[in-house]
Amino acid sequence: MTDDLPPSPALLPAGLSDLLPPDAENEAASVAALMEVFASHGYERVKPPLLEFEDGLFAGAGAATAEQTFRLMDPESQRMMGLRADTTPQVARIASTRLAAAPRPLRLSYAGQCLRVRGSQLAPDRQIAQAGIELIGPDSPAADAEIVLVGAAALAALGLARVSFDLTLPSLVPLLLEDAGMSGPARAALARALDRKDAHEVARHGGALAPVLTDLLMAAGPADRALGALTEAALPPPARALAERLAATIAALRARAPELRLTVDPVEFRGFRYETGISVTVYAPGRNGELGRGGRYMVNEAEPATGLTLYPDAIIRCCPPRPGRPRCYVPWGAPDDAAARLRRQGFATVASLDPAPQDALAEARRLACTHILRDGAALKLPSETSPLRPPAGGEGGARGEAVGG
Amino acid sequence: MTAPYPAAALEPEATGPVVLALPKGRILAECGDLLAHAGIHPAADYADEDSRRLRFPTDDPGLDIVRVRPFDVATFVAFGAAHIGVCGADVLMEFDYPELYAPLDLGIGRCRVSVAEPAETALAGDDPARWSRVRVATKYPNIARRHFAQRGVQTDVVHLNGAMELAPGLGLARLIVDLVQTGSTLKANGLVETEVIADVTSRLVVNRTALKTRPEAIGAWIARFRDALAQRAHG
Repeated sequence: MTDDLPPSPALLPAGLSDLLPPDAENEAASVAALMEVFASHGYERVKPPLLEFEDGLFAGAGAATAEQTFRLMDPESQRMMGLRADTTPQVARIASTRLAAAPRPLRLSYAGQCLRVRGSQLAPDRQIAQAGIELIGPDSPAADAEIVLVGAAALAALGLARVSFDLTLPSLVPLLLEDAGMSGPARAALARALDRKDAHEVARHGGALAPVLTDLLMAAGPADRALGALTEAALPPPARALAERLAATIAALRARAPELRLTVDPVEFRGFRYETGISVTVYAPGRNGELGRGGRYMVNEAEPATGLTLYPDAIIRCCPPRPGRPRCYVPWGAPDDAAARLRRQGFATVASLDPAPQDALAEARRLACTHILRDGAALKLPSETSPLRPPAGGEGGARGEAVGG
Repeated sequence: MTAPYPAAALEPEATGPVVLALPKGRILAECGDLLAHAGIHPAADYADEDSRRLRFPTDDPGLDIVRVRPFDVATFVAFGAAHIGVCGADVLMEFDYPELYAPLDLGIGRCRVSVAEPAETALAGDDPARWSRVRVATKYPNIARRHFAQRGVQTDVVHLNGAMELAPGLGLARLIVDLVQTGSTLKANGLVETEVIADVTSRLVVNRTALKTRPEAIGAWIARFRDALAQRAHG
């Protein structure tokens, strides 16, 4: 027996966190703004369940998420279920089953939470919000371009105009390795060296492929330069077709959004590894992390599809702060219609529940209000010396954070 | 929610200087020559280990240098605190950060990560193929575990930060896994090198996101270091 202190009741499992005011409201509003842009481009919302049978979850495109999925047993059916680690495989299942007869191109959107067994070093969260679109049916540069453009429009709606899209060809490296007849440990060592862009190791393990792989490795960067390197590289026909598809997609994007920042990384092949054609990762300048990820995959191993998943948690950290709702204190006995009018004007009204006479101004401050109801109108509270804290002596329940007005 | 970072993304364009992380100690002296060839002239006290300063401007307003412990170069660059860095391949192997790219072998800081043990046990004919576990003193717990796991041996790691060579003699561990340059420290402590796990040189490392979001600036620095390597090779 030891006398260790019990863990703090506030401690959560690693990678999970509470969202408090005003962050929780901000998240909901941001997700709503993203979904509004998706809906306005014709993407209709679906809502798959949090849990489903693992054989459904890991079928086809979902196989890549198996190692990141929490599992539990359904006492009802005695079958294993998984908590989704990614929403795309669920939307793919819907498209190939319940919506199999819906006309193509099928445009679907979704927003929800996912759980992962492990966080990464850079993004330790194990619960991840996703908001995304899937475009099922067409296999064309126009479709690849559309998901990037809709994604850019959604981010712009949140005030993120300067994002960059990194286009990759996850199947290019496997194709080249296949074509060169590489297999076993040599192939694994080379794939790893390429993943880490370790030029020394690529040269060491690359064999006959080393020169072309090194050229492509160094070509990562602005789209035009990388496309040039891909054009010059000696590629086998299937890889050449991929490179041409990339060029066509970039041309389609340039035609419709010439100001969009595009980079290309020909040898990158990260992600959930179900992507089959052009993939895309969204970055914000100056931020270490991804705002979203997407790309081409196969629905039910039969139907081509592409999609983009945005990560609202990462996006919100990059966004300009949203103005909070102004809060107006309503003293005891104030007329109901005055408070209702303020709510219609966008105020949050904070009603007094205490008929005893009190210092209404001090009470409004203690409850972090920005305004007080006086003579039927909202009166802005005179500013205080310390805007970030409630006045000294504030009792339990006083909120520590300021609510902007 | 994590406490918010400074909102760098709100700036119209990420225009801050590129931060280059250099390792303190042995490699720093070898870096000087390379920096000169790359046309980088840092503030004079950057190589002075007694200087209290940790961040140094250079003659190029677009480049700052930070000086950190060799193991920390990888961490600074992986998390984006520094954008590029000079880092031993041993450190890259140990941390295995997926956020780090290593586009150039700088050919400096040449050494190896090796297994060593007391001369007497090495000669005693104890067959390593029969081991199921082994106790190893090292500052590279991941490299040691991976190396022995490959041959089906579990590793009990004794994680030390220095003076590994003392461990076998004092009964702390049977073997050590350590960086070996000339082998004279091993010899002085009665150890012999029994196996080379990897040959090591220093690499130019780059943060993955920095390469994606500032491809022009980061690409230009990679090119300058590559040219500096070529110059050094020819003259």
